[in-house]
Amino acid sequence: MRRIGLKNLDRYLLVFVVAVSLNFLLPRLMPGNPLALIAGVDVGLMTPDERAEIITAVGLDEPLLTQFIDYWKAVLTFDLGFSYKSGRPIVEMITERLPWTLLITVGSLMVSAVIGIVLGGWSAWRRGKKTDLSMLTGMISLQSLPSFWLGMLLISVFAVQLGWFPSFGAETPASSYEGMARVGDILEHAILPIVTLTVLSIPGVYMTMRYSMLEVLGSDFIRTARAKGASERRVLFGHVARNAIAPVVTFLAIRFAFAFGGSVIIETVFSYPGLGRLIFEAVSGRDYPVMQAAFLVFTVAVIVANLVADLLYPVLDPRMRVE
Amino acid sequence: MKLFTRRPGRRPTPKVAKRLGIVGGVMISALVLMAVFAPLLAPYDPTERVGAPFQPPSAEHWLGTNDVGQDLLSELIYGARVSLTVGIVAAIVALILGTTVGVLAGYYPKRLGKVLMQSVDVILILPFLPLLIVLAAYLGRSLLNTIVVIGVLIWAGPSRVIRSQVLSLRSREYVLASRTMGAPDRWAIVRHVLPRTALLATGTFVRAVSTAILLEAALSFLGLGDPLQKSWGSILFWAQSRGAFLTPAWKWWVLPPGLMIMIASLGFALVAFAMEERINPRL
Repeated sequence: MRRIGLKNLDRYLLVFVVAVSLNFLLPRLMPGNPLALIAGVDVGLMTPDERAEIITAVGLDEPLLTQFIDYWKAVLTFDLGFSYKSGRPIVEMITERLPWTLLITVGSLMVSAVIGIVLGGWSAWRRGKKTDLSMLTGMISLQSLPSFWLGMLLISVFAVQLGWFPSFGAETPASSYEGMARVGDILEHAILPIVTLTVLSIPGVYMTMRYSMLEVLGSDFIRTARAKGASERRVLFGHVARNAIAPVVTFLAIRFAFAFGGSVIIETVFSYPGLGRLIFEAVSGRDYPVMQAAFLVFTVAVIVANLVADLLYPVLDPRMRVE
Repeated sequence: MKLFTRRPGRRPTPKVAKRLGIVGGVMISALVLMAVFAPLLAPYDPTERVGAPFQPPSAEHWLGTNDVGQDLLSELIYGARVSLTVGIVAAIVALILGTTVGVLAGYYPKRLGKVLMQSVDVILILPFLPLLIVLAAYLGRSLLNTIVVIGVLIWAGPSRVIRSQVLSLRSREYVLASRTMGAPDRWAIVRHVLPRTALLATGTFVRAVSTAILLEAALSFLGLGDPLQKSWGSILFWAQSRGAFLTPAWKWWVLPPGLMIMIASLGFALVAFAMEERINPRL
């Protein structure tokens, strides 16, 4: 058997190539003026000279293939260009935003992992009983919960009515908090976004854990464990849970990628200054270079998450280990 | 995936799944009625300014008015139209794409199937929501574009499920027999494979409607929906940009549209769950 982690490498490479090509082709294939879609500025308001300047700068007067090669060169050298709105280097904007998104996605993932695994395991253990069925129904309902709506309600209730948490941002603006006080301030701002993302992630973890547990529960080695007289506790923790956890961890890595993308909506609701909010601002301000760059960062994040999942699986599931 | 390890019908659908399916069906029917009879049910034209802006609920306006004085209850009732239309049509787009790709990839698993599945995997790995937003931003805001963007992004998952079933169907005796007797592939696919994937395809279709409804709401909420249509997502977009959720108005401006989105999406999700339990029991 080949190594799992490397098996999918060509696929991830392909994903990256597709993402870059989409970035390149979409604005050029859309009806209308590609200049407006690439620069994002109001082309109509520009003088012909300014327009010509941008056309040469972006290389729109070159043949398509030359443009494509230049585009790749820029991507591979991390030369993501400048925002047309703020004039700042895009790389700088992204490195500034990325930690915030990581904070809320990783935070929510850890909480939802614990809750989802415990509930999913419990549910499977009580398969077909009332606890199982009502939990399952509850989780199906949670999957239909619109994320932005949940965020808005949390703000209305916990930030505005009760005043427990701040309603926007990642830090108190213009504050002079230092050390632990600053950490506390940041956590206070992160709690509601994390809760929202957590509630959204729990059903997926729960479902994966439950199905994975059910599969293990039906397998031969569990019957053997019971037959040799192992206590129910020992069966549950020593045999079932241990073997059921591998798919869940894989799922968590993929879920991370999903939560990362979901930050677009959550961060918009909470005015949280992360990457998701950046892509939203770029879209609504038609700052297309920023939007494209953010999209690439999301793609890379997804690929990394998938790679981690591939590498973790054999570690957790001895049956998948390479000989 | 273990499809048809038990033949359907041999094991009855669990009672709970059936009951949940019925609840879902009732929810969908109520919403469809609301969408069809919106002009009769809604007290006002949702696009008319019929009162003072930012009114709390009153006898004339049960859910108050929005920032330009339109009746929120009427907006809510008309919103069912956009939500259901986008949800169902986008799911049809996804169903056609997903079934075509799934059947082709399953029936020709060698070269064509490999290429198709490779592209399915790429779509499934790409960051979903950011891609949705980028596409919507480039295409522009209209009902049709919303449908297209959602449809072309959600077919990949279903196509994989359908492929794995076709893969097992193509080596069944009756398919082999018809091929041995010289029937063209087209015949085998249309006569033998498609009818047997119909149930599975319908299940994934209903699930896709549930997803599409949530995505439409999210796009409208981000201001990427059709600006001329009243949808539940766009009501929440205005509630957000006018800061309604920071005032007591959240109870009549924010709460109801979100509930409607949830009911619509959940209705289809429950029916899908009941169908999946029938095809592949996991309860």
